[in-house]
Order: sequence, then C-alpha cells, then structure tokens
Amino acid sequence: MENVLLGLTNVLNLINIVAIFAGTAIGLFVGAMPGLSATMAIALLLPLTFGLPPATGISMLASLYLAAMYGGSIAAILIRTPGTPAAAATVLDGYPMAQKGQAGKALGVSLVASLVGGIISSIALLTVAPILGKIALQFGPIELFAVAVLGMTIIGSLSQGSTTKGLLAGAIGVMIAMVGMDPISGAPRFTFGYLQLFSGISFVVALIGLFSIPQAIRLIEKDIKLQKANKITDKMLPTLKELKTMWVTMIRSSFIGIFTGLIPGTGGDTACWFGYNEAKRFSKHKEKFGTGYPEGVAASEAANNAVVGGALIPTLALGIPGSSGTAVLMGGLMVHGIMPGPTLMTEYADVTYTLIWAVMLANFAMFGVGLLFTRVSVSVTKVPNKVLAPIIVILSVIGSFSINNSVFDVGLMFGFGLLGYFMDKIKMPTAPMIVGLILGMMLDNSFNQSMMMSQDDYLVFFKNPIAATLLAIAGLSILQSTPLFGFLRSKLIRGKNP
Amino acid sequence: MSRKRNHIVVVLLIVALMFTLIACAKPTAAPTPAPAPAPAESNYPEKPITNLMGFSPGGGSDQLAQLTVPFLSKNLNTTFTNVYKPGATGAIAWTELAKQTKNDGYTISVTPTPMLMTNYIMNPDITYTIEELEPLANVVTDPAVIAVGVDSPFKTYEDFVNAVKAEPGKVTVGNSGTGGDDFFTVLMWEQQTNLKVQMVPFQGDGPSWQAAQGGKIDASFTNLGITYPQVKAGNLRILAIFSAERSKLLPDVSTAKELGANVVTGASRGYSAPKGIPADAKAKLLDAFDEMFKDPEFVAACEKQGLEIDAMIGDEYGKFLKDNEAAYKDIWNAVKDQYKS
Repeated sequence: MENVLLGLTNVLNLINIVAIFAGTAIGLFVGAMPGLSATMAIALLLPLTFGLPPATGISMLASLYLAAMYGGSIAAILIRTPGTPAAAATVLDGYPMAQKGQAGKALGVSLVASLVGGIISSIALLTVAPILGKIALQFGPIELFAVAVLGMTIIGSLSQGSTTKGLLAGAIGVMIAMVGMDPISGAPRFTFGYLQLFSGISFVVALIGLFSIPQAIRLIEKDIKLQKANKITDKMLPTLKELKTMWVTMIRSSFIGIFTGLIPGTGGDTACWFGYNEAKRFSKHKEKFGTGYPEGVAASEAANNAVVGGALIPTLALGIPGSSGTAVLMGGLMVHGIMPGPTLMTEYADVTYTLIWAVMLANFAMFGVGLLFTRVSVSVTKVPNKVLAPIIVILSVIGSFSINNSVFDVGLMFGFGLLGYFMDKIKMPTAPMIVGLILGMMLDNSFNQSMMMSQDDYLVFFKNPIAATLLAIAGLSILQSTPLFGFLRSKLIRGKNP
Repeated sequence: MSRKRNHIVVVLLIVALMFTLIACAKPTAAPTPAPAPAPAESNYPEKPITNLMGFSPGGGSDQLAQLTVPFLSKNLNTTFTNVYKPGATGAIAWTELAKQTKNDGYTISVTPTPMLMTNYIMNPDITYTIEELEPLANVVTDPAVIAVGVDSPFKTYEDFVNAVKAEPGKVTVGNSGTGGDDFFTVLMWEQQTNLKVQMVPFQGDGPSWQAAQGGKIDASFTNLGITYPQVKAGNLRILAIFSAERSKLLPDVSTAKELGANVVTGASRGYSAPKGIPADAKAKLLDAFDEMFKDPEFVAACEKQGLEIDAMIGDEYGKFLKDNEAAYKDIWNAVKDQYKS
C-alpha cells in the first residue's frame, strides 16, 4: 500500500507528466501510421530514454504503447487501413460509419472505448496483478491450442454473406501462416529457397497489403463520379444515451482484453477479434454488425486497449511478457539496470508502481491528446480520393519496408494487395483470412508441442480442465451457427409452450 | 479549393514528418566523443561504422549492441549506425555480410553462436559459411543450464537423470527452438550421457522456462542469464550448469562436468566482419575490443545486466567458431534423419 501511494506521488512529477504526454503523442502518431507499430516505436525510442530516470523512461514507453492502441483505429476508421494489427477488427464497423458521414462519431466511440478499456485494465494492474499474474503460468501449449481453436471459430461469425467463402478465406489464411521454418523440425516450408520467407510472412505486411491497396484502388475507381465530401459536422463524443447502450459491451471487451493480454503469446491483434465476436454473440442486433454499428467499434477498441494493462500484469508480477510490446518494454527495464522478474514488485517497487500509475494517467493523456489529434485527422475525409489513394500507397510502402528493412516485403505487400482486391471483387471477406493468419502458426505449433508432451495422446486436450472448457465453448459456438441449433431451440421452446 | 489545398499540405507534412521520424529513430547513433589525439599509422575509421544486425530491435543482439557500441565508438573515435535486417534467424543479414558487404572494415555484425553456424549446417538453402567472415571478438557467453520449476519432484540433477533412465524418451524437456543453442545442448547432453528425453521446442527461451515453471514440462534446458531473476525469486531451480567452472551467481550449483556429463556450452554473442578487411582496420577493431574488455566501466555495465563476459579476440574467436562448427556438424549429422520432414 505504501508503495502504491509512493508511486502515485512519483508520477505526479513534472518530468514524468511531460514524459507521459510525449509518449502519448508519439504513440498516437505511430499508431495511426500503418506499418509503424508500437513495438517498433518502443524499441527505437528505448535508447533515447537512457538519459532519463528509469521510471520516467519506462513510463513514457508504456504511454506510447497505450496511445498507439487507440491511434491504430484512426486510420482504420478513416481510410479502412488498420494503423496497427490490433485495430483490424475496428475496420469492420468503423469504416462503414465513416462512409455514412459519421467519421467523427466513430472516432469518438473508439476514444471512449479505449479510455474505458485502458482504465479497467489499469485498475486490474494496480490491484490484483500478483493474483492474475499466476494465470499466465497456467497457459502452456495444451491450453494455447484450445485458445487458438476457440479463436478459429470467430471465422464463422465473420463469414456473413457466404459461409463457404468465409471458411475458404480462413483456410487460405492458415495456409499462409504455415510459410516459413517449421518450428518443430526446423525445415523450411513453402519458402522456394527464398531466405526472406524463412521467418514466415510478416503478419503486418499481409495486413497492410490486404487492407490498404484494395482501398487505394477502390478510391481511384470511385473518383470518376465526383464524390461528395464527407460530412464531419457530427459530434465526436457519444451522448450519454448512446453510451448507455454500449457500456456492457465495453466492459465485456475490457475483461476479454485483460485476459487475452495475460496469456503470453496473444496480444491486441487477437483481443480485438475476440472482443468483436463476443459483442456480436451477445447482441440483440447481430445483423447490424459490419454495417457501421458503433458497438462494433467500441467492442474491438475497448479490448485492444485493455490488453496493455493485461499484458503488463505478468510482465510486472512475474517477469513474463504478455505480448511483444511488453517484451520490448522488459528489455528496456534491463538496459536501465532493472532485472525484470518477480522482484519487480518488491525490490523495485518504486519504479514499478510509478509505471503502473503512469499507465493509469496515460489513459487520460490519451483521451485529451486524442481528442485534439482526432479533430485534425478527421479532415482526411475531405482529401479528394485521387490525392488520398497515392498517399495510402506511399504509406503502405514505407510501412511494409520499415518492418524488416526489406524490399522483398514491399513486393509481398503489393502481392497481398492484389489478392485483397480480387477477393473483394468476388465478395470474399478478408477478415476471416486475417484471423487465420494470426492464429494459424499458434495452432500448428501448440498442437505439435502438445503431441510431443503427451506421447501423441489426442485426449490430452480433454484431460486438461482449461483446455477442455475452452474447447467446449468453441464446440458450442460452432453448434450455435448450424441449423441444428435453431432446430433444437425451437423444439425446446415448443416443448415448453405446447 | 484553398481549403482542400491546405489539407493536402497537412497530409504531406505528416508524411514528411514520418520520414524524419524514421530517419531520426533508426540509427541509434552513440554520442560523438570528443576528438582524441591523431591516430598513428592509418586514419581508419574515417566515417561511421555500420553495425548490421540479424534480429529486431529489442532482442538479444540489440542488447549486446546497446551495451558495446558506446565503448567501441569511444575507443575507435567514430560513431556506429545500427541497421536491423531481421529474418531467417539472422541468415538474411549474415548472407549479406558474407556475400555483398564491402570488406572495407566499415560494416560489422553481431554474430551469436551457435546460430551463426547451425543456420547453414541445418539448411542447404543458406549458403554463407564462417569461412567468408572475419571473426573479430566474442563478448559474452550465457552458459546453458537445466532448470525446473520450484515445485518439481526433481530436487537434484540425480533425480532428473534417474527419472530419464527409468522412462527413456518420456521425460519432457523444453528448449528455445529447433536449431537454437538449447536444442543443441540437449543433443550434446544426450550424446554424452547416452540418455534419451522427449524434446519439446518452444519459440524462444521465455516460453520454455515458463512451461517448466508452470509444470507443463518436466525440465527446461535454457540459459543462466535469462532465468537468474526467477531463480533468485525462488520460482525456478537450477539442477546443473554447462559452464567450465561454477558460476559466481550460483556457487552452489554443480557444473555438468562435475556431475559426469562433459558438456560445456551456452549462447555466445560476438562481432564479425566480412572476410578480407584491411589489416589496419582489423588491428584497430581488435584493439578497440581489447580496450573495451579492460574498461572497468564496461565490466560494471555487464554485471548490472547479468551478462558474463567471455572475451575472445581475433584468432581465438575464429578458433572458437571453427571448433563449434565441427561439433555442431557432427551432432546434426547424427540426428538429422529424425528431423527430415
């Protein structure tokens, strides 16, 4: 308790507050730029923080991480290109909202949802981190396999219109995820001798290609007919009445985000889909999802911001990074001479609690800076398509190059761009493909690991309580979307009311 | 119209800003030191030296670069530009270093053992070899260890060995990935002891020791530096260490050698340049490393980060790489048929 208060007084120091705001501003910017990820920005800014006291430097990087989660939704909503992989699910409802002239509203909902997700996860971090942290250790290969299977069922609900096309897209995504060195045997798969493919296809490269290039082409196609400039007169912040309809979704997504963050190996890119999927599952207006429904934006954005606090829990409580962003953050602590590990909460409690309060404060910084930044960025919708389209292409090239400093990746990005364009033409949804890409590798790797650990016993997944529960939920999700479920339900209801 | 133009300007400014950001952020140049007395025979280095890295910022190679670059730039009186080209466990960067980089002494690369060699030993598509490189110096070695969770029934190395003997091929042992240092440590240990375990590859050291700590696997072959904080906090127990002598960090833990398994190995990180760099450049680089190892500030910095200095300069490092190459080749040839898929 003493440490908690000490951290609070530490954080309310001018230099720390300046650092938090600076981190927030940078985070919003890199988040909004497709291809520049929070992980990358943290790693690159790390050396600049050497001159600062450890708590200040790390607080700045943590605020950056948090703000980038919201920043990602800006590009997702305005130009249909997720700025970070964690904003991929935001595109589904965010962009249709912008097309209806509600770009400001979409960004406002996203900002409020991010704030809610961030605060709930910060509270969890501050209060129950040591208890929740233990959950991270419960997730070994067998449990991760079940998480991946559950994630795969999301493909079903994203395949509206044509289930066949959705499943096909999902399967292609999983196949693309198989490219690269087999994690078990070390043998290269589908690499055709290209060294650049040995580490697999960078998920971000595929994401940029699939979303941005088709969008740029679409904009050019449309430009022949003179487009009316989007109205941006709508109010940004949602009204209380609107918030009332969304708060359940936001809180649910926040908890989903915290837990997804807790599990090592899953982060914002997975959490946004889980959040979106569950919001849809429990919604009374399932059909509205995907058509520009504010709740869809809120669901994915609350989840991805909650991941930050969630991922920090095992990082700070146990020295186990919960996501790639926190892994780099942990490296930062090391450079500052603080050995990340279970001693963080005791030996380095002053630094750790300052950091936790900084994350809390960064939520408000994000809200304030975000409001200003967003007002400016909404004007993107007034840029004529023929100008916007080439800019999107340029950003995509820069973004895909900067991940590995590789020109090969730029070519790959264009390849995915064309694929995305043709998928769009035959009305095949790209979202299931993204889910397949994210989870494919995890599914493959954790399955093989589980088999090795259990001497090829398939029943191992059912003997494990966590895995069995998750698989049961997955089974139920599949059943729910088959005609059989409707049949059973109608039978039941009829049985009750003869 | 003018309004529209304003917006275009704004967007262009954002793009320009982004370029600046990338340009500013990428080269993590160390502060330029004050001019030192004029060099004696040659004027190498006359320009910044590129430090090519085969892994992303924030990883182990980057950690070594952040640690050494300030000292190297002070000793060489120049700046360093870190360039990251991740992919294929470093093979993209090292292929470039061996085949394309000018051997003028202005490009060096962080080279970790055993990945530098196991890359091409295991994959015929990777064509560079250490013959095409000029080994400069090894900097640190993180010795391999056998770690178990604190609740594990294995209290000692003997408990572990007895369990493996009782059920050959059943005890699950994690490593940091097929082809990585821990993967080969397990194979070396199996060869020496004539025992067989069920190897489980993970993606990195973290997931491997975490699985051991959580009781998901029976033991993890990992590294001391990575697990030391967990050991200190009482979450992991080290059964044996694969170093030549006992570690100062854990003086009570016996070496594998003492326990009858003659394996000394770990993960080493050093620097190499392309083959055939000018003699004066090479001499100056080696001197810079030598000076760094003698610098008490450097020793203190390593200690602070829990890194064990393992100084090998020039030919000594070259011999170390060669010996390792031969050893890893033998091991891989003995087991590779199980891994052909």
